[in-house]
Amino acid sequence: MSILSEQSDFITARRLLDAATDGDTSRTLIDDLLAEQQQLTAVENFARRHENSELPAQARYYRDLIPLEKPRIGEQYAFAVDLDACTGCKACVSACHSLNGLDEDEVWRNVGLLHGGTEAEPYQQIVTTACHHCVDPACLSGCPVLAYEKDAETGIVRHLDDQCIGCQYCVLKCPYDVPKYSARRGIVRKCDMCHERLVAGEAPACVQACPSGAISIRLVTKGDIERICAAPGEQMLPGAFESSYTKPTTAYTSRQPIPANARGADSNYARLEPAHWPLVWMLVLTQWAAGLFLSIWLGAMFEPQVFAASRIPIAATGFVALLSGLGASFFHLGRPLGAWRAFLGFRRSWMSREIVCLCLFALATSASIACRSASLTAATAFLGLLSVFCSAMIYIDTRRPAWRSSLTFTRFFGTTLLLGSVGAACILSNLALNRMSQFKSGLDLATWSAIIIRSVLFGWETRNNLRSPQPTNVIGKMTLINSINAFNLFNLLFALSTISGLLAISSVGPSVTLSALFSFVFTFTSQIIERYFFFTTSTAPRMPDTAAQ
Amino acid sequence: MKKTAEAPRSHSRRESFPPLRQLTDPLTEDLVLHPGNFGLGKVPARLKPDATTTLVCGFCSTGCGLNAHLRNAEAINLTPTTDYPVNLGMACPKGWEALTPLKSPDRATTPLIRSHRGARLEPCDWERALVLFCERFKEIQRKHGSASVAWIGTGQIVNEELAFLGALGKFGMGMIHGDGNTRQCMATAVTAYKESFGFDAPPYTYADFEESDVIVLIGSNLCIAHPIMWQRIMRNKHNPEIIVVDPRKTETAMAATQHYALRPKSDLVLLYGLANVLISEGWIANEFITASTRDFDAFADFVKQFSPAMVSSATGLTMVDLQKFVETIHRGKRVSFWWTMGVNQGHEATRTAQAIINLALLTGNIGRPGTGANSITGQCNAMGSRLFSNTTNLLGGHDFLNPADREKIAGILGFTESSIPAQDSWAYDQIIEGIDTGKIKGLWVVATNSSHSWIHQNHFNQLAEKLEFLVVQDMYHTTETAQRADLILPAAGWGEKEGTFINSERRFGLVKKVARAPGQALSDFNIFRLIAQYWGCGETFARWTSPEEVFRILKGCSLGQPCDFSGIRDYRKIDECGGIQWPWTYENATAATERRLFEDGKFFHADGKARFIFEQPREMPEAPDPEFPFLLLTGRGSSAQWHTQTRTAKSDVLRKLHPKDAYVEINERDAARLGIAPGETVAVISRRGRLEARAFLTLTVQSGQVFVPMHFAAANQLTFPAVDPYSRQPAYKACAVRIQIQP
Repeated sequence: MSILSEQSDFITARRLLDAATDGDTSRTLIDDLLAEQQQLTAVENFARRHENSELPAQARYYRDLIPLEKPRIGEQYAFAVDLDACTGCKACVSACHSLNGLDEDEVWRNVGLLHGGTEAEPYQQIVTTACHHCVDPACLSGCPVLAYEKDAETGIVRHLDDQCIGCQYCVLKCPYDVPKYSARRGIVRKCDMCHERLVAGEAPACVQACPSGAISIRLVTKGDIERICAAPGEQMLPGAFESSYTKPTTAYTSRQPIPANARGADSNYARLEPAHWPLVWMLVLTQWAAGLFLSIWLGAMFEPQVFAASRIPIAATGFVALLSGLGASFFHLGRPLGAWRAFLGFRRSWMSREIVCLCLFALATSASIACRSASLTAATAFLGLLSVFCSAMIYIDTRRPAWRSSLTFTRFFGTTLLLGSVGAACILSNLALNRMSQFKSGLDLATWSAIIIRSVLFGWETRNNLRSPQPTNVIGKMTLINSINAFNLFNLLFALSTISGLLAISSVGPSVTLSALFSFVFTFTSQIIERYFFFTTSTAPRMPDTAAQ
Repeated sequence: MKKTAEAPRSHSRRESFPPLRQLTDPLTEDLVLHPGNFGLGKVPARLKPDATTTLVCGFCSTGCGLNAHLRNAEAINLTPTTDYPVNLGMACPKGWEALTPLKSPDRATTPLIRSHRGARLEPCDWERALVLFCERFKEIQRKHGSASVAWIGTGQIVNEELAFLGALGKFGMGMIHGDGNTRQCMATAVTAYKESFGFDAPPYTYADFEESDVIVLIGSNLCIAHPIMWQRIMRNKHNPEIIVVDPRKTETAMAATQHYALRPKSDLVLLYGLANVLISEGWIANEFITASTRDFDAFADFVKQFSPAMVSSATGLTMVDLQKFVETIHRGKRVSFWWTMGVNQGHEATRTAQAIINLALLTGNIGRPGTGANSITGQCNAMGSRLFSNTTNLLGGHDFLNPADREKIAGILGFTESSIPAQDSWAYDQIIEGIDTGKIKGLWVVATNSSHSWIHQNHFNQLAEKLEFLVVQDMYHTTETAQRADLILPAAGWGEKEGTFINSERRFGLVKKVARAPGQALSDFNIFRLIAQYWGCGETFARWTSPEEVFRILKGCSLGQPCDFSGIRDYRKIDECGGIQWPWTYENATAATERRLFEDGKFFHADGKARFIFEQPREMPEAPDPEFPFLLLTGRGSSAQWHTQTRTAKSDVLRKLHPKDAYVEINERDAARLGIAPGETVAVISRRGRLEARAFLTLTVQSGQVFVPMHFAAANQLTFPAVDPYSRQPAYKACAVRIQIQP
């Protein structure tokens, strides 16, 4: 009735035309109809025909689409998709969404399009895809907090939502773009093959909803899957990632062979991947810290006096950089308080190893500031380098082509050396302002190291970019090409500025502190930008998609 | 709604420190499934219903039963109804997402008024809106005559509302001209059936998909446009030959056993050519032709000119192909012919549809299981609009020009016969033309989006400016048409009101009230009640108090007609039966769930015979030429998109199921010749407009043709405004364009 009173405020009473209303003469037909509009009548008017049945009515359609028996040892459940039966209605996606009560914009299934063939025999095929419940799931092996489990009985790869800390490493690891991060919830969620339905003898939502029975659940032998996936170049479908990586279990079958030139409708589109800004900062800052401690250790070997005197300022700077980097990483987590669980995955996750190494590195840095010891300095530098190594392995382990080891190691250690030397040069030029003679040799060493490293890195990046295949006739990849071109330009500008700044220090001397500062700012910024492009141009492998999204 | 249900968030920032292993807290609980009862199997706890009820879907004409999961009488989720005879537990993504568009933030929640052109739309109360509606339209009628106000209706609202709109417009407000968006999809089938069979009567039932041994789909991408009908084909146990006639290699063509990729708009020649071979080979049903048809000899004479050689050169199909096609039809014991918009939206559409009907008559493939010349309808209530919109036909398939019909309907409604106009309405295109010539000054648009969907859209939008008063009655205030309105009346949508739809196979289905309309939105029915009251004809419509009351009136109107459904007791009976196909007379109210027409070989013409109707094919109105060398085809883009997307674009899930940007499908060879790269943005330009879209290079369109989905607003800036002369349905499927690479 509150609706009524609200509306009577809103609507001026009109008494002339309320012939149709009876009783209360102050009420108009408008009032009555507005009130009537809010009365829901379906339950009242139409007695429920369904009895209150716990048995699923849809079972009559899906009985043959799920196995009668539970998996035996060595077996697991797997999706099977009959491509000939799938004609692209896409009901599987919405059924999964509705029956699992997913968030408004959340889907666990996706549909793509393969096309190709010849002028005489054109080919197109809709492809439905969800989690492939791999025998060797990359999401699971990458998770630092053990928030994935491969169910011992069913083989279903399940995500443990409350265990998840929202680091999103599984999103990077999965070559099929399956786990989806929800910023609102701060965690990742994914298809669990309607695990609970299967256990109760019900079919998963997508299986229940396919009008042509194209999706079914089958029992597969893990050994068979491993054998099939071991074949070189084996992939589930054209455009899908090589099966040898994770050993996916979904089987796509068709009576007619898929034409050799079939490709995803999105094959000509390269989208920019997320920038992951907290990770950009975290990587550059921790690598700077590692570089500074490396410079202390190396400096102590070549210029012991100089570096004995400059140890504390350089180490303190490194310590601050490291803590800032660690701090930045928390902004990447959906549920940062759970971060303390990150050591749990140490046995298989490079993410865990990186976090453990960084923590040890942080302990070592504070210790090496507190007490001066050659072995402690060496250990700290070593832990710094080990952290950088682990960081690089995180990305190499995703098997994205843009993150292959040669590129990632060079970039990460390049940043370490570059920021270490430029940072040291900058600090030394400051110290040398008053005591030139004391710091001259160390400053020269740092400056010339920096100039050489900068030049080598610039040459390497340029050579890389020239070599990397840039298809000239594929405008769909424009965004990516533009990005790479932008990066080349930035790279040149920052390299020139840095080198000229450094040359100024070495020729004119430390009086040009401002120049040293500029050099450092340019170098640091260039590394932030480099890392931004590192993420955004790392095209993620996916199953065939619908077209440019 | 399911989506706004309190989904748990990560509370970690506020709650106590998380333990090392955390396996059962709220984030996990959120997805845990519990028995849902009501035959649903397991569902998440927060979506567990306390009752369920079935209502028919409000998108396409398939008419699927959707099972609303109710809690406190309000729908919180929805699944396809397992035992509904149409969809057998399945639905396409639009059906699954049917509740989502109701909760969109751009729903119209109050009437909106524009004080003058160029001003913003301002909210007002119903009182003011209704007074303004009546004052402005009456003023226009005083100045320019009562025919100067017209309406454009829809196939998207229930029968009871369609009838109310039609009756109120013509018998209450004195309008002469009203038409609906069904003109854009079904007018051709209506005209073809009326002329051939004597009544607008699609003869089939969906079971025919399962009974055929040869299924011929002409201009129909069934897999995408009507996925649930395709499901019925998949259930066919007779290993049927599935023949698809379509210039594109569509999803349906991929799934077919034979695909004939003919030249666009050569279908009439092809169909006549098939008839010619069937007749000359003697592969015809002589007995049936003699007993049940007329004008066969003239037809046989006429088609002689369509020799295989001539047909081959006109269609681009080989003579071997043609022979195979004909032999497949001949060998079939139960051949069904189906057509959709590829036929209906053509410049000679009515004759093309009749050429299909002729094939069925010729071979005796009608009136038996698995046969028929079957038009697949478009919108959820296009079939209801055909019977009850009171536009082309007087209520219940009657004739405005026939005094006996006028008297009959006046008697049933309790109106004076003089209140029923003794003239036909203008068709949609004629109403638009009337705006141009100054004969139409006021327009009332109900539940359609002309500014997007009308052919040669720019012309329509220019003309809309010439109207003195434009009223749009819609669920959303954001449609392209609503944005041009002087007055917007906020309407309740599907699921927020009661009434009946009729689907493609003549089945009445129920729409129920399972959601609350937002704000002050009212059902179209209640809006019409108010307008009747404010217009001063409330007394005339005193009996029109509820949808079910009007349903009773409509039953009376159908009495004695081929569509007689006077035996349907009430809404509850429809609910119990899982929908009821017409006819369903009082005497025969226990018939089977699935029924087809013409089993006795009797058609609805006075002599009981169907007609062979034919005419010389004509060139397409705007063929490609050197300046505009490509032929533009338009059609449905995906099963997740509905027409102008006023509803489907409101669902995140549906939006994920099709490319976001407008795209044009271009043949790879043409693209190579023009230097167009995949994904490149190109301009598609016709003599009337231009559209920028990404090039999708594919072999599924033939060289010389391009395809653009109709859902993108700019598509109809290109189309050529030709109409079929008999059905006046626009020919959306063919116009000349050129492709320009962007600088």
